[in-house]
Amino acid sequence: MDKSSYRLLQLLSLAWLACRPTYSSITTYGTIIPQSPSVEIGKEFTATCVLYKAAKATAEDIYWKLKNVTVPKEQYTKINDSAVSVTITITNETANWLLCEKKGSSLSLNLNQVIHGILLTKGYPPEKPVNLSCMAVQFGRKISSNVTCTWQPGTRDEMLKTTYTLFGSLIGSNKSSKAHRSCGYIDFDTFPSFMELAIWVEVENKLGKVRSDILDVFAADLVKTNPPSDVNIISENNFSRTLLVSWKHPIHVTYVTLKYNIRFCTVGSRDWTEVPPNDTESYKESFRLQYLKPDTEYVVQVRCIHYRGYGYWSDWSANSTARTPEDKPTSKPDLWRVVIPSQVKSERRVQVMCKDPVESNGRIRGYSIKIQDGTWETVAVNDSDLDSRSQERKIIPLYQIPWSDKRRGLIELKAWNSVGESPQASLVIPELTHEPPSVESLSWFTHQGRLWVKWQPPNVTATGEPYRSEVTEYILEWVSVSDGAMDWQRERRHTRTAAIKGNLQKFNRYNISVYPMYSGWTGKPLTIAAFLEQGVPLEGPSVKVRRTGKNDAELEWMEIPLDKQRGFITNYTIFFITGGKEHSIVVSNDTYSYTVKRMASNSKYVVRVMASTVQGSTNSSDLSFNTLMYASGQIEAIVVSVCISFLFSVVLTMLCCIYKMDSIIKKIWPPVPDPSNSTIAKWSPDFTSKADTPKENALGDVSIVEVDVFDRKSLCEEDKAGLPLKKDKYLSEEHSSGIGGSSCLSSPHQSVSDSDEGGDEGQTTASTVQYSSVVASCGYKGQTPCPLPQSGSSQTPSFARSESTQPLLDSEEHPEGPESQRYLRNPYFGRLPAGNNGDSGDLEDLNQMEMKKQGLALRQFCPLEEDFQQTTPTEEGQSPDGQPGPDPSYMPQLSGYRPQC
Amino acid sequence: MSGHVKNMYPQLSISQAARTLLSLLLVAAIDSVNAGIACRNQQCESHIQRSSKLTRLIHMESVDLLKIYKASQGDMSELFCQMPTNIVPDPNISGLDPSERMLSIYSHCKAFLPHLKRVTEQQRDLQPPSSPLLNNLTTAQYRTSGLANQINCIYQNLFPNLPIPLEPVDGPTSIHPSQNVFQQKVYGCVVLKNFKELLSQMRHELRTLKNQMCKSRTFAYTNALF
Repeated sequence: MDKSSYRLLQLLSLAWLACRPTYSSITTYGTIIPQSPSVEIGKEFTATCVLYKAAKATAEDIYWKLKNVTVPKEQYTKINDSAVSVTITITNETANWLLCEKKGSSLSLNLNQVIHGILLTKGYPPEKPVNLSCMAVQFGRKISSNVTCTWQPGTRDEMLKTTYTLFGSLIGSNKSSKAHRSCGYIDFDTFPSFMELAIWVEVENKLGKVRSDILDVFAADLVKTNPPSDVNIISENNFSRTLLVSWKHPIHVTYVTLKYNIRFCTVGSRDWTEVPPNDTESYKESFRLQYLKPDTEYVVQVRCIHYRGYGYWSDWSANSTARTPEDKPTSKPDLWRVVIPSQVKSERRVQVMCKDPVESNGRIRGYSIKIQDGTWETVAVNDSDLDSRSQERKIIPLYQIPWSDKRRGLIELKAWNSVGESPQASLVIPELTHEPPSVESLSWFTHQGRLWVKWQPPNVTATGEPYRSEVTEYILEWVSVSDGAMDWQRERRHTRTAAIKGNLQKFNRYNISVYPMYSGWTGKPLTIAAFLEQGVPLEGPSVKVRRTGKNDAELEWMEIPLDKQRGFITNYTIFFITGGKEHSIVVSNDTYSYTVKRMASNSKYVVRVMASTVQGSTNSSDLSFNTLMYASGQIEAIVVSVCISFLFSVVLTMLCCIYKMDSIIKKIWPPVPDPSNSTIAKWSPDFTSKADTPKENALGDVSIVEVDVFDRKSLCEEDKAGLPLKKDKYLSEEHSSGIGGSSCLSSPHQSVSDSDEGGDEGQTTASTVQYSSVVASCGYKGQTPCPLPQSGSSQTPSFARSESTQPLLDSEEHPEGPESQRYLRNPYFGRLPAGNNGDSGDLEDLNQMEMKKQGLALRQFCPLEEDFQQTTPTEEGQSPDGQPGPDPSYMPQLSGYRPQC
Repeated sequence: MSGHVKNMYPQLSISQAARTLLSLLLVAAIDSVNAGIACRNQQCESHIQRSSKLTRLIHMESVDLLKIYKASQGDMSELFCQMPTNIVPDPNISGLDPSERMLSIYSHCKAFLPHLKRVTEQQRDLQPPSSPLLNNLTTAQYRTSGLANQINCIYQNLFPNLPIPLEPVDGPTSIHPSQNVFQQKVYGCVVLKNFKELLSQMRHELRTLKNQMCKSRTFAYTNALF
C-alpha cells in the first residue's frame, strides 16, 4: 500500500469518524487515529487528532502531549480546522501515552482539557531466523514422519507477541505447524522418502512478518538413522593382529542406502582410531580390522550415514569388545639395573630388573637371563606379578648380585610367553673406574602438566676404551624421594628433551638421572632433583632454642623432611615477637641456625620460623623463651670477684693473725704462770700451810720485784674481764707487786683504780718488764719459804723475778680467806698438805671438779708440781725426773704476786 | 490489457462478489497446481534414479501391504486375490518410445490413486483403526502421489515440448459406487496385486529409461558444448 492510498484511507476514516454518531454516555470531544497502535522503535509515527463539534475548539487549540511532555508545535501538521496530526520518533524512552488536548478558554477554569489519548505499544518487527536445519530420525523400521527443525531466532528483544510457524512443502503437499522460538516440527504423515521438499520458518508480530531462507532439500538430507545394530567382534586364532567386525543395517536399504564408519581403541584408552572411510563406503555388514596388537582387548564402535553423505551420521553403536590372540614377543624386554652401594669395600650390589617388552604380544610367562659367561637361567613370572593387560608396564626385579668394582660384565635377557621368545636384550656393567662419561648438563622444567628433562650429550672422544664412543640411547631414571619408587624410560640418541612418561605425583620430589648408553654400556649418570609441581611445605621446620643470652638467642631448626617440603625451600624467615611487635629476618635455605641479636634482656620472646617455596610458606609452631637478665659470665664475674675479695680479706686477716699471732694467742690463751717455776712454790716445809695474815706494818719488808709486763693493757683488760676474781684480789690488802706497788700497798682500793686508770704510766717505763715479786724476808702468807742456796738468811727480803706471765694466784692474793675458798679459786694449788686439815679428801674432790672446768691445758702442769710441793719440798727446783730445773735467774717469789696494773 | 479488462466487465452477468470470489479461487487453484508440479531443473540421472528408488520403496512396501492385506482379511484371502475383476487398471505399461512409456507410467500412477483411496476407505470400515493396513494404505497413496509428481517432472524435463494430459491416457477409472464386503475384499486385493505389479514394471521401465534418456541427453549436451 503506497503512501497516497494510506492518505486516502486516513481521510476517509476521518470523515467517517467525524460523521458517526456517538452513543457513549461520556462526552467525547474528539478522537485519535490510529487507535492503540503498535509502533516500531526508531521509526516515525504519525497520529491525527480529530475534534468533534462538542469540543468547541479549532485545530489551533490542539496540542499534543506524550504523557506529561508537550510535543513541540513544529511536529504538528494541520489537516483541516478540526484535525491536527503529529509526527514523533519512537524511542525506547518515548512515553506510552499520546494525548490530544485543547487549550481551555480564558473563562474556563480547566485550562487543559484532554480530548483523547492512545496507548503506544512499542516494539520491533520480527527478525529473520537463520541457520535453519531439519532432521528426521528413524522410528521403528522406517523414518519418522515428523521432521524436527531448529534455527537461530533474532537476537533483539521483540517486545511484542511474536508467532513462529514452520512450513514444509513438497510436490503436491504443504504442511505447517506452530513452532517455538527456535525449534519446531512438521508432521508429513509419511516421511517423503526420495522426494524434494522445502522448509522455512515464518515469524510474525504486529509490526510485520518475515520468513527465513527456504531450505530446499531432498528427504535424504534430513535422515538420521539408528546406529548399526548387533555389532559383533570375532577373534580368530592364528590371526593375532586382526578382528572381524560384523553388524546389521539399522534400516532397510530401500529407505536409505548407508555407508559405515568404524572406530576402535584399546580398552581403557580414549584414543580412537577410525578406519579410513573409503574402506567402509560400500553397503556392507562386516569389516576386518587389521594391524592390531596381539593379545590386546579392543573396543569397537560403528555408525552409519546415507551412502552419499546426505543427512546425519547416526550415533555410535554401543561398545563391543574383543581380544586379539597372542603372538610371540616381537621386541626386547626393557633391561635395566640399579647399583646399590655395598658395605663391603670395593664391591657394589647390582639389582637387575626389567620391564616386559613393549610388544610382548601376550602374557609374559618368564625370563631367561645370562650373566657374562654363565648359563641361561629361567625366572618364572607369576601371573600376579605381571599383567600384560595393564597399560602400565610393571618393573620386575630379577636378580640382585654382588658386583666387584673392578668387574665388567654382560647381562643378557630374553622374555617368553606362551607362543615364543622375544629378541635378546643386553646390558654391560663396566668397571667402576671405567664408566663412560655422563651427559654434559641436565635441567628440568614443566610444561602442560608434564615434567620435562633437558640435557646436553656427553663430550666423548675416542680414547681406546672398550665401549664405542657413540651414544646409542639415553635412559631417564627417576626415583621418588618420598617412597623410593623408581622407574625409567628410554629415549633415542638424538633426543635432547623428553617428558617423563611416568605417573608423577605433584609436590613429590624426584631425583632424575640421565644415563647415556653406549651400545649397551651404561654411562655415568647425572642426577637432578625436580618437582612436577611445587607446593607449600606440609609443615614448618622444627625450631628449638639452642642458647639464650641477655641480648641474643641462638635458634636452631631441622630441615623439613624431603617428602614434606613439597618444593624447593627458597629461604627461611625468622619471626620473633616481643611486646606485640613482630620482627622478621630472612635467611638462606641452607641455614639451619641463626643467632638473633639486639634482643631485650629479661624479655619474653615468641619465635617461629617460616619455610618458603615458590608456591608459599608454612610456619613452624611458636616457640617461647625468655632472654636472660645477665649475660653469660656476668654472674660468674660477680661471684669470682666476691670470692676473690673474700679470699683476699681472709688472707689479709690470716696474715694479720700470723703477724699478731703472739698477741692473739695471749689474748685467747692468757699465759698462766707455771707454778713449778714459781719461786713462791718453793716453799719451806717449815712453814705451815696456813700462812699468817700479813700485817700492814710488814710493808717495810716488801721488796720491789721487777715484773716483765709485755702488754700492760691486755693485762688490765684481762683483769677487767675477771672482775670477780679481781674483787677478791683487790680485797686483799696484803699484796702489792710490781711497779706502783707502793700505791697499791698504801691503798688496796686505790690500787684498783690506779690499775684501771693509770696503768699506762708503768708501761712506759720499759718495753719488757719481768714479773717481780716482793719477797718477804719472813715468809709470806704463812708459808715457809724454801731456803735458797744463794740466800743465807731466809728473813732477808729480796726481789725475785719470774719469767712467767701468769697472773698471780688468788691463793697468793688472799691468804687470809678461808682455805676452801682459796682452793676453789686456785686450782693450781688445789691440794694442800696432807696434814693440813681433815677435810683434805673433800677438797681434793672439789679440786678435781674445778680441774675439769679448767680444762686439760691447765692440767698439764698443776697436780704434779703440787705433789712435789707437798711431799718433797726439799726437792724443789728439780724436775720430777731428778734433773735440776732451770735455774731461776731471780730470787724466788716468797709472797706470791698479783697482776700488774 | 487493462482496457480490455474494462471492456469485458459489462459482458459478465454474475455479480461482483461472486466474480471476486471466483477470481480468488482461480488464483488459489493455479497456485496449487503450480505447487504440485513445480519442478526443478535437475540432472536426469539423479532425478530418474531417485524416482527409481522411490518406486523400489513403494514396491517393497506394496509387497508388504499385500501380505498385510491378505493377513487381515481372514479366511479365503487367497481366494479373494484370484477372483477376476475388470474394474482395476491394467498394470501393464504401454508405449513405443520412452516418452510414451513414461507417460504411461505417469498415467498408471494417477489411475491407481483413486483405487487405493477407495480401498483405504473400504478397509477403514472393515479394519480396526489401529490396524497397520490402514497406515500402509495411506502411505502407499502418499508415496504414489509423490512418485506421480516426480514422473511428471521428469517428463517435463525430458520432454518439455510434449504436454501431459490431465486425464490418464487410458481414460478415467470407473469405480463402482457400491460393493458388498466380499466385493470390497476382492476389489482391494486385486487393486493391491495390480499395484504391486505396476510398481515392478515401473522399476524396470525407469531403469531402462535412465539408461536410454540420461546417457543420450548427456551425450547430446556434450555435443552441444562442442
